[in-house]
Amino acid sequence: MTSVPMDHGLLLAGLLFAVGLAGVLVRRNILYVLMSLEIMMNSAALAFVVAGARWSQPDGQIVFIFIVTVAAAEVAVGLALVYQMFKRMKTLDADAASLMRG
Amino acid sequence: MTIAFYVASAVALFATLMVVTRRNPVHAVLYLMVSLLAVAVVFFTLGAHFAAALEVIIYAGAIIVLFVFMIMLLNIGPPPSTRQESLLLTPGIWVGPSALSVLLAGLFLYVILAGGRSVQAGSYVDAKTVGISMFEIYFLGVELASMILLAGLVGAYHLGKRDLPDEAEGGNG
Amino acid sequence: MNETLGTLLIIAFVILGVLHVAPGLIWLERRLLALWQDRYGPNRVGPFGLFQVLADAIKMFFKEDWIPPFADKATFILAPCIINVTALTAFAVIPFAPGWSVVDMSVGLLFFLAMSSLGVYSVTLAGWASNNKYSLLGGLRASAQMLGYEVFMGLSLMGVVLMSGTFNLAKIVEAQQNTIWYCVPQFLGMMLFLIAGIAETHRLPFDLPEAEAELIAGFHSEYSSMKFGMFFIGEYIGITLISCLMTVLYFGGWDGPTFGISEGLALKLVQFGWFAAKTFVFLCLFILLRASFCRPRYDQLIAFGWKIMLPLSLANLLITGAALLALE
Repeated sequence: MTSVPMDHGLLLAGLLFAVGLAGVLVRRNILYVLMSLEIMMNSAALAFVVAGARWSQPDGQIVFIFIVTVAAAEVAVGLALVYQMFKRMKTLDADAASLMRG
Repeated sequence: MTIAFYVASAVALFATLMVVTRRNPVHAVLYLMVSLLAVAVVFFTLGAHFAAALEVIIYAGAIIVLFVFMIMLLNIGPPPSTRQESLLLTPGIWVGPSALSVLLAGLFLYVILAGGRSVQAGSYVDAKTVGISMFEIYFLGVELASMILLAGLVGAYHLGKRDLPDEAEGGNG
Repeated sequence: MNETLGTLLIIAFVILGVLHVAPGLIWLERRLLALWQDRYGPNRVGPFGLFQVLADAIKMFFKEDWIPPFADKATFILAPCIINVTALTAFAVIPFAPGWSVVDMSVGLLFFLAMSSLGVYSVTLAGWASNNKYSLLGGLRASAQMLGYEVFMGLSLMGVVLMSGTFNLAKIVEAQQNTIWYCVPQFLGMMLFLIAGIAETHRLPFDLPEAEAELIAGFHSEYSSMKFGMFFIGEYIGITLISCLMTVLYFGGWDGPTFGISEGLALKLVQFGWFAAKTFVFLCLFILLRASFCRPRYDQLIAFGWKIMLPLSLANLLITGAALLALE
């Protein structure tokens, strides 16, 4: 197994995280916000796997599995919320859901 | 293998940039899938074969399919929602947050590269080792993960019900 | 160098072989269906109607390749490619005879699951890109069906992984040679995998995404010419893939009497012959299933997947694990 510097892997994770953050901040469509959250979670998982590969330990991949679990649960609930929101407000604009009632 | 790492990284970055800039949600989801596949290749080059397979099976094969499913269920075709997206993507809105993100990316660059020590990453860890330490050392984590999944299941089932009582009218329903 | 050449040869062999098996299957299916339904089937073009497939292929090639103006063009073209690419890529990990596989991957079984889970996109995207409500409904049905059936497909295979202790398909075959074909101890897992496999390739009892009667061919109603042809071929490649995996995982792969031949190319060929023969039996089984089942209602299909098959596959996993621990 030829190897790459650990920094480069971490760098990729950092850049992906920044792009995902930009997506969460810029887009107002709630579907894109959820997608960008997925990108951020995935980049965090990437950082763990890179670190795990650096010390040849399985821990990185285990944390990756936990992150995937959390992501799956989050998407299930998040998309159900999107469905309810679209049914009530007929829009996917996240700002439309800024009120506490109604 | 080293070349594969850099190519996959470039693809992942490009595809991810496309995800946050697309106007058609299905195209964005497709780019997200490409990005996840590229990250799976990165995992593979780093020797984490098990994680690479899981990334494709669970992330690209299940979670993203859920997104496609939801987009199709709501049937948000291009015309109206694209116009809405265009309104929401005027420069005044996206410049500020993007600048913040670029700042964050710069910080990451500085912190990671200023470390100075460059150590090699990438050694093969097989699925068996992962499994053994998962069910020995991280046993509690597995239990917690199962609870989170159960909570997600119940939450999604409740929210996905067709006739959820409307709280605005139905009091504390 | 020699090794690279060998791998390239195997790749060419696999791609050409699979792409030729698929049209052959179309002919076989039509003839066998006719046999079981007490009629003739195609028997006019060439000996036994064998050239019917060729005639169909020529017709398909020369038809107008039309993309509806209301379709999402890029996605419309991408969709039929995905089903073929994922199915053909999955063949990379199948061991046809000892040492005869494109890659000897340590996570081969997971690679197959990954490729089959990516295959969902083909049908789903075709349904969405056609911009037609029947196609959209077909795509929706396909994505919900495949999500549900993929879950227990993965779980049903884990019984085999528990018994052999590896994800590597070649090692799974060797483990069966040393002990017993897994169709005996893993009978429940095998049945679950077979059902999941039919659902994954959306063949007849599970062909709700394309149900002609209600959805006018569902996801591919807007497709014509070779783009339709690719869906058609992709379905048969999928069937071949599932049959190969049934052979490898539950019926000992290349294992079988070698008639006193003990070494060299001849042995490999005999072993490959066993593999091909077993796969052929499953291909015929797929066609027999099509001839003998009716189509369930959609809610019955989904309820069957989540309420019956998923608990059964979990029970299979639990019992296998407990039995292995008790025998240790």
